[in-house]
Amino acid sequence: MTDIALPAAVTEAAPAKAPAASLTTKIRRHRALAYLQVAPMALVFLVFFVVPLALTLIVSFWEYNEYEIIPAFTVQNYVDVFEGCLNTSDACTTVRTYLSTLKFCALTWACTLVIGFTVAYFVAFHVRSRTLQMALFLVCTIPFWTSNVIRMISWIPLLGRNGLVNDTLMRMGLIKSPIEGLLYSDFSVVLAFVHLNTVFMIVPIFNSMARIDRSLIEAAYDSGATGWQTLWNVVVPLAKPGIAIGSIFVVTLVMGDFVTVGVMGGQQIASVGKVIQVQMSALQLPAAAANAVVLLGAVMLMIVAMTRLIDLRKEL
Amino acid sequence: MSDRPRSPAFYALAAFFALFVVFLYGPTLTILVLSFQGPQGGLTFPMNGVSTHWFGKLWAGLGIVDIWGALWRSLRLGLVVMLLTVVIAFFAGLAFRKRFRGERALFTIAVASLIVPSIVVSLGIGLEFRLLDEAVKWAAAETGWGWLQEHGTLMGLYTSALGAHLTWTLPFGLLIMFAVFNRFDPAYEEAARDLGATGAQTLRHVVVPILGPSLVGVALFGFTLSFDELARTSQAIGGRNTLPLELQGLTTTVTTPEIYALGTLTTGMSLAVIGLALGTSLYLQRRKAKAGLRLG
Amino acid sequence: MTTTIKLSRRTLLQGAGATGLALGAGPITGFPNVIAAEPVTLRYLGTAVNQSGDIARKVKEDLGITIEYIPVVTDEVTKRVVTQPNSFDLLDTEFFSLKKLIPSGNIQGMDARRIKQADNITPVFTKGEVGGKKIGDQGTAPKKVFYLEGQNAKTFAGMATEWITLIPTTYNADTLGIRPDLIKRPISSWKELLNPEFKGKASILNIPSIGIMDAAMVIEATGDYTYPDKGNMTKAEIDRTIKLLIEAKRAGQFRAFWQDFNESVNLMASGETVIQSMWSPAVTKVRSQGVACTYQPLKEGYRAWATGFGLPKTLTGRKLDAAYDFINWFLSGWAGAYLNRQGYYSAVLETAKAHMEPYEWAYWMEGKPAEKDIKGPDGSVLEKAGATRDGGSFETRMGSVACWNAVMDENTYMVRKWNEFIAA
Repeated sequence: MTDIALPAAVTEAAPAKAPAASLTTKIRRHRALAYLQVAPMALVFLVFFVVPLALTLIVSFWEYNEYEIIPAFTVQNYVDVFEGCLNTSDACTTVRTYLSTLKFCALTWACTLVIGFTVAYFVAFHVRSRTLQMALFLVCTIPFWTSNVIRMISWIPLLGRNGLVNDTLMRMGLIKSPIEGLLYSDFSVVLAFVHLNTVFMIVPIFNSMARIDRSLIEAAYDSGATGWQTLWNVVVPLAKPGIAIGSIFVVTLVMGDFVTVGVMGGQQIASVGKVIQVQMSALQLPAAAANAVVLLGAVMLMIVAMTRLIDLRKEL
Repeated sequence: MSDRPRSPAFYALAAFFALFVVFLYGPTLTILVLSFQGPQGGLTFPMNGVSTHWFGKLWAGLGIVDIWGALWRSLRLGLVVMLLTVVIAFFAGLAFRKRFRGERALFTIAVASLIVPSIVVSLGIGLEFRLLDEAVKWAAAETGWGWLQEHGTLMGLYTSALGAHLTWTLPFGLLIMFAVFNRFDPAYEEAARDLGATGAQTLRHVVVPILGPSLVGVALFGFTLSFDELARTSQAIGGRNTLPLELQGLTTTVTTPEIYALGTLTTGMSLAVIGLALGTSLYLQRRKAKAGLRLG
Repeated sequence: MTTTIKLSRRTLLQGAGATGLALGAGPITGFPNVIAAEPVTLRYLGTAVNQSGDIARKVKEDLGITIEYIPVVTDEVTKRVVTQPNSFDLLDTEFFSLKKLIPSGNIQGMDARRIKQADNITPVFTKGEVGGKKIGDQGTAPKKVFYLEGQNAKTFAGMATEWITLIPTTYNADTLGIRPDLIKRPISSWKELLNPEFKGKASILNIPSIGIMDAAMVIEATGDYTYPDKGNMTKAEIDRTIKLLIEAKRAGQFRAFWQDFNESVNLMASGETVIQSMWSPAVTKVRSQGVACTYQPLKEGYRAWATGFGLPKTLTGRKLDAAYDFINWFLSGWAGAYLNRQGYYSAVLETAKAHMEPYEWAYWMEGKPAEKDIKGPDGSVLEKAGATRDGGSFETRMGSVACWNAVMDENTYMVRKWNEFIAA
């Protein structure tokens, strides 16, 4: 990271020896300007991203007690994270927690992908007027700008034991006693995740689809492809980058979540983020840091696979 | 494609879309309705009369929670984040058009900042400031300097929380700038330069006006992302909470429809900001078009 | 009240003064006017439960001190004291967290000589007894952490000193809250919390150190095991307790966990749960919504807790004076009466009594049937005439305390195990 700021100084300090090489000077100045322009961003990421992550890694190897962290090397925090994991008969806490989080991840990913793709496909290919397209796109994205917490809790009066859904179903005589699993369950957690995160699928997929040359579709139809064939062989491959970007967003959001699982799961469903948060609030920072490092590793593994598929910068 | 008749697929998809919109807006509408509960009403249906009672209660203050203070803090922080995001992302975008050493690294970091789970970033920033505080405390004890003795924490709205928000808004800003510059025709700049404009003049009179609407977009992203940020702020906030943190606390501590009134209010506010941004963007575009006409 | 009180001339005078005030019902005067001259704001860090707009308004009126509440959850209070000791001027926290706070060196001992009612603080805190009778002291009983060896000491004193850690604000004895209309049978033991009969309708507190003690109460009630100290378990005891909780959770016993006062109210009032560990005022609140709810006394006794005011070490000068003034005001009766009317107990009973109507005192503190309708601080009717308070009088209740909220020596291990329970 520092190697970004450093060359700037070097370039500036370098005396322009040959006056004849005015072009190189110009390029050099051009370059110096680039370093100057990018410096604020580099600085922000350095101070608030790179250093914090490095510290997290370092502190995860420190000791701690009830009220302070002690800079003495230990691997105990990691030992604690994986305590009992060698025991094959019963999954350990960490594995169980990750499995639970991964389950939410997979379910949410599948739901948001199907919904996001369908919605984007409809808006991109079936809505003919450009204005209407934009309007519908906005309709899908506006809730994204409003408070997540509010959107989450707005499910509670609907799903509770005596909530609107149960009441309606009972009044209609479809069920005799309220469905318990609507709230504080895996169902309500996934529902909230899908509700909150589908937009992250819609936007990049729509973006990819909007750039598909319409004549390709025409060509597919003209050469006798059915709607499904066109969808599967033309649209899906071309929308892949959008799908990948959306997937990365959804996966990371769900993996690191601790609020949604808490509120919608009645505080009794485990998630990796929640574990970290509990340890943070119990002031066990090194333990939390160790968990964070493990989480980071897991997320990175998942993402590397996805990023291999696309060059993000070209897709914008 | 446009001259094809509507296929059955269209209707199926349209129905799906409609359902999705209901799913998206339904719950929010529920709390919108519930926020107009009568004074005797509870957190769930049925409605017990219709009133603006809970808005009144909200206005009078949520008992103990300084909700207006939190709102105000979030607004101010949002504005600062917005400004910084626009400026920093814009210049970084310019820099990325030229080549510079370390650009791949920086780009990777920017993307990483977006996809590293928020709780991890938040924890890291919290840790960083914790250690900084310890260092200051140590320095205070070592040196005995009076001005250091009073030191409490460096954590605060405009230090750690601002930083946490920027790690979230800047990558978005940068990606938008990439998208924008990818579509930006350098011919305009060259023309300006050929006419003898300096770099700064070109920027001021050519690049910024053309990119105006997109910059408004970046600003909108910056503000709303910051205004609703929760996970990254959670461990990196100083003494006073932002609105989303306060709201998260309230979800479990409020037992009256006031919380819905608050929800309706913040949603309304977010919508107003979007409206304002879209309006400005449209206005800029129209002005640009007009100017183009005049020139043409 | 038969609590033994060391009478001093000062106490007598104050008692008389307070009674006079109660009779006259006039505004409290006689507090330093220096404060009023230049407005002081105190940033009050604590949980939402203890922070009331009424108290802030009243103190503004009486002393001119502005109270700025910073409401956070229990764990967060501790975290802020340890990590951001400058972010508040007045601390309101639970006694059990002192085991974390005092070693951090961020809290200063309070000068007992500056607390006018120091001698009148109920012996529940100073000696661990009520009505001359010893009460259960398992866990972090307040008497164990009430005094410091010196103002800036990092260790607790074994006997009374002039440095007090926290001046009690509220305290109570917790038990199970139940919905009698949905349970339809008498409940008399902690073991009912994990009775499969209430599968999917039970809840416990999601604060690890407290939740585990509720579980310990259940285990003791079943007769499986008796803890030497429920508030300070060994690793093996923690394992045993968590194992029971995990079994219950896997069997679907719990509907949700609650973390905050109002969360417990919402769960109970909406019928999501019918039996859960609960705080007395939460039960009152459920009832005031017209829902039947009982604060069920159980034969094994209560799990008690107490909160109190502390001062950050960095507090000096006028703010420090204002903090002392505020604490003195708090103990002078109005606030105590206010808290008693919500179902909590206040630190200095005499002053609170002077600010309550005799029938109120009889209902809330003496366990007698209400002569008239009992009203809450906001004027809403909490109980109709004739009702009696669950659990009886102050002495009966506090006398049946089995253990206190605690931080264990094995806290780190316990939190890890708690996460295991959440993950199960």
